[in-house]
Amino acid sequence: MYEFDIITPNSIDAAKSEFDAAEDGQFLAGGQTLIPVLKQRLAMPSDLIDLEHVHGLSGISASGDTISIKAMTRHTEVAADHEVQAAIPALAKLANGIGDMHVRNRGTIGGSIANNDPAADYPAAVLALHATIVTDRREILADHFFTGMFETALEEGELITEIHFPIPEAASYMKFANPATRYALVGVMVAKSHNNVRVAITGAGPCVFRDAEMEQALMGNFSPESIKDGMIPADDLNTDIHASREYRAHLISVMVRRAVAEAVG
Amino acid sequence: MDTTNITNGIGKSQERREDFRFLTGAGSYIDDMNLDGQAYATVLRSPEAHADVSSIDITEALALDGVLAIITGEDWKVAGYNPIPTKSAVRKAIDGSDLKEPPHHPLAIDRVRYVGQPVALVVAESIDVCKDAMELIDVDYDSLPSVSHQSEAIKDGAPQIWDIAPNNICLDFELGDQKAQKKAFSEADHIVTLNLVNNRVTAVPIEPRGALASYDAGTGKYTLWNASQNIHAGRDTIADAVLGIGKENLHHIAPDVGGGFGVKNGVYPEPILILHATKLLERPVKWFNDRSESFLSDTHGRDQVSTVQLALDKDGTFRGLRTETVGNLGAFCATVGPFTPTGGSSRTQGGPYRFDAIYYTAIAPFTNTCPLDPYRGAGRPEGSYQMDRIIDYAAAQLGMDPIELRRKNLIPTEDLPMKSPMGLDIDCGNFPEVFEQTIAMSDRDGYDARVQKSAAAGKKRGFGISMYLECTGGGPKEEAKVSFREDGKIDLSVGSSSTGMGHETAFAQILAGHLGLEIDDVVFRQADTEATAIGGGHGGSRGLEVGGSAVLQTSREIVEAGKKIAAHKFDVDADKVEFSEGHFHVPGSNHTMTMREAIDAQNDPDMLPDDMEPGALNISSVFERGIISIPNGGHAVEVEVDPETGTIKVDGYWVMDDFGTIINPMLADGQVMGGVAQGLGQALMENIVYDDGGQLVTGSLMDYAMPRADDMPRMVIGYYEDAPTAKNLLGVKGAGEAGCVGAPPAIVNAVCDALKDFGVHHIDMPLTPERVWRAIEDAKAS
Repeated sequence: MYEFDIITPNSIDAAKSEFDAAEDGQFLAGGQTLIPVLKQRLAMPSDLIDLEHVHGLSGISASGDTISIKAMTRHTEVAADHEVQAAIPALAKLANGIGDMHVRNRGTIGGSIANNDPAADYPAAVLALHATIVTDRREILADHFFTGMFETALEEGELITEIHFPIPEAASYMKFANPATRYALVGVMVAKSHNNVRVAITGAGPCVFRDAEMEQALMGNFSPESIKDGMIPADDLNTDIHASREYRAHLISVMVRRAVAEAVG
Repeated sequence: MDTTNITNGIGKSQERREDFRFLTGAGSYIDDMNLDGQAYATVLRSPEAHADVSSIDITEALALDGVLAIITGEDWKVAGYNPIPTKSAVRKAIDGSDLKEPPHHPLAIDRVRYVGQPVALVVAESIDVCKDAMELIDVDYDSLPSVSHQSEAIKDGAPQIWDIAPNNICLDFELGDQKAQKKAFSEADHIVTLNLVNNRVTAVPIEPRGALASYDAGTGKYTLWNASQNIHAGRDTIADAVLGIGKENLHHIAPDVGGGFGVKNGVYPEPILILHATKLLERPVKWFNDRSESFLSDTHGRDQVSTVQLALDKDGTFRGLRTETVGNLGAFCATVGPFTPTGGSSRTQGGPYRFDAIYYTAIAPFTNTCPLDPYRGAGRPEGSYQMDRIIDYAAAQLGMDPIELRRKNLIPTEDLPMKSPMGLDIDCGNFPEVFEQTIAMSDRDGYDARVQKSAAAGKKRGFGISMYLECTGGGPKEEAKVSFREDGKIDLSVGSSSTGMGHETAFAQILAGHLGLEIDDVVFRQADTEATAIGGGHGGSRGLEVGGSAVLQTSREIVEAGKKIAAHKFDVDADKVEFSEGHFHVPGSNHTMTMREAIDAQNDPDMLPDDMEPGALNISSVFERGIISIPNGGHAVEVEVDPETGTIKVDGYWVMDDFGTIINPMLADGQVMGGVAQGLGQALMENIVYDDGGQLVTGSLMDYAMPRADDMPRMVIGYYEDAPTAKNLLGVKGAGEAGCVGAPPAIVNAVCDALKDFGVHHIDMPLTPERVWRAIEDAKAS
């Protein structure tokens, strides 16, 4: 990696001012993407502002109809949290399927969402569960957050502090893992609440996305039979050595059906 | 009686003595080793598949603080060293002409021919400075058309990689009786043809390649610590053939090596480059590949496309086999490269089945890809895949039962010993019995219920079997040297080398077991040109067969020498002395002497007969194998396929191996399981992909899929031990490669069995979910 300074602030304000002071600063959360990128010499920040010791950025709480997860909460903690398991088991399952044990022990929900890797798991949950992303300066609805491949609505220096997940009536995450990376080749989160159904798909396109046709079909009848092959056109999907766009389109239908079947119980 | 001495004997699942060191981070690998004053080297590699190097500007890089030297192809030309030679055992084309061997210099001279080919060596005070310097080197490449695939390379009009090799062909090859094969085909009722791809893979040893070199200007001697599995042969090639420094001036050592699988067998450019640099700078120089460089520059394996034809009669009797292969060599002849698709893939054609005639031909072309060299099995997995796949394919085409087809055609025991149509000396074995035991162990009674259970879950279950026959290989000679220290420790040096297979345990087990001594007292030393005069390293499943036999031979010679010491003490003739369970004794007398007492006596002239010198029990002995042995066995597999996604779960795995005598069942199990993991990887997911421009698409573990623990089935492994071979002292047949020989055809057979109702009878490896799904969809559509 190239040389950089590492700074370890212990408050959000300090982190922000360090970022502002840096020539080309970069926040470091769990580092599960950033550190490999640095090792490959694919990024050259002047300063890394490590969020590890920032107070108040970690932890999970439940209140009424919402689960709130602070940005620096590790995947392992989400997977093992009893309140998450009870309220949104699909979210605990999703967290438990990210990477491997080492990744889950280091990686954070805020880091994953801010990075918005097209094959990451969390964006599907954030989008399908209609979550709100809380930052140091505002609240952003999930529908407005993920704007493109590795792109989000976050502004320069804006820091995610917390994510609010409304508790759904039922939800399920089905992931078809890339055999090499075990990222999502296709990952589907289906969530149902108050006669509203949201279907979010990760891994298949340049950015996580919802599918209106499937959502409409499921709102009419929340049953696997509502999902027909060919509902998702293959044209805009990713294609690579592991899966063609046609195969991904097929897998989306299969995974949504399986997610609905699981959610129905 | 003290029985502790015999508990270490042959046949015991002795726990690995080296594991504590390996598993607690106490191993000594190249990257753990550092010398005073050490400099670091990195390799600038070609980003182009085929290009003329019009200029290399190192001015800026050389000016960087901390850069010590930059060596380019131009420097190499001036230095005048020889290219790295191939040691392929097959050296002639069918017409008798020599194979086309292009000059393989450690650095590209004037032209690059594959992505990853070394273009310059940078030596600096740190790896970071090396990397900074590499970014400042300005290389001008003039791109040339390239060709990645062997079938394209041999076509007229394909880009030409070497002037000496028209149509890019290094050599062609034939083995067998073409006339007899044609006759068998003309008489047979059916001829079934199957085109097969044996996919290109790479070994991905957990320790990448690396080396550390030093030079003593006073003595003119070099030392090279190298993550290699073949240090004696490597020394000879590097010192004598390439650098011309004389092999006596190169001390070549492999410390703990983290996996080899053939990929660390050959001579590579980088260790040669750092030997040059260490002398130039008079400082130790260390180089270590990162994982991405390993994908680019570790030799790859397999990569053969073949047409296989099976001729058989109406009643299923096999008559003839015909195989035509095009095997990719990459851009150069690697150390054994040209041998793999030719001799290496031909010898076991036909497997353990009876044929009137077999005829094998191959073409081995160059391509603009990383050179290929042996990877675990090197030719036998290809042969086994061809044979056992076409049996199932023929059974499907002709409406026969693949199990019955095998049962009918296995070579009966009364035919042994025999020479196969490929000239292979099959001395012993019991193929029908191994086959029946494989079937018997694989829980056939419960199969139908499992099929029903899978069906209820929307899945398809299938069963597949393969009967592999392979042969060992590698250097025929090995030295085992024993010396007894005064502190009771026993130094054992062997020329075979372990890259993690457990020699430190198995060899010590043979020595201690035979002499009746404690295994914990054995101090093992390997892979050091100063520890043994000769050494064949590791390759061809030769460790126990040759190295283990050498240890036994040395052990026996120690016993014979010990008998003389005992006879001197007992005052009887040496031929009256017997040795068992660690004791010398004379039947019918009270005379007894332990091996340990004889060892203590060997340094006391008073205790020795007149014709013995002190230290007479410190013995070195060389064992030479006559003919290679024939490991064989059966693999049975159950798979469950999800037809909706194409996902395959390997749900049951049974292996019956004939490895002759089993020295340590636990180590043998480890070899089989590891081999099956690599075979499963090749069958289901591993695949090296170059795009049409010669860029490596699978250049990291983000793209190259490998099996993980949860991909592996629970395995049941048995050993047929009633046919030990007389070809070596231990009666062993070589266990190291068999797992990845038997696994791919058995797994693919099981998947095709699961999909037979769809009309799917063949899918090329790797059987990725998409390929399986597409095969089903295509079959539905047709």
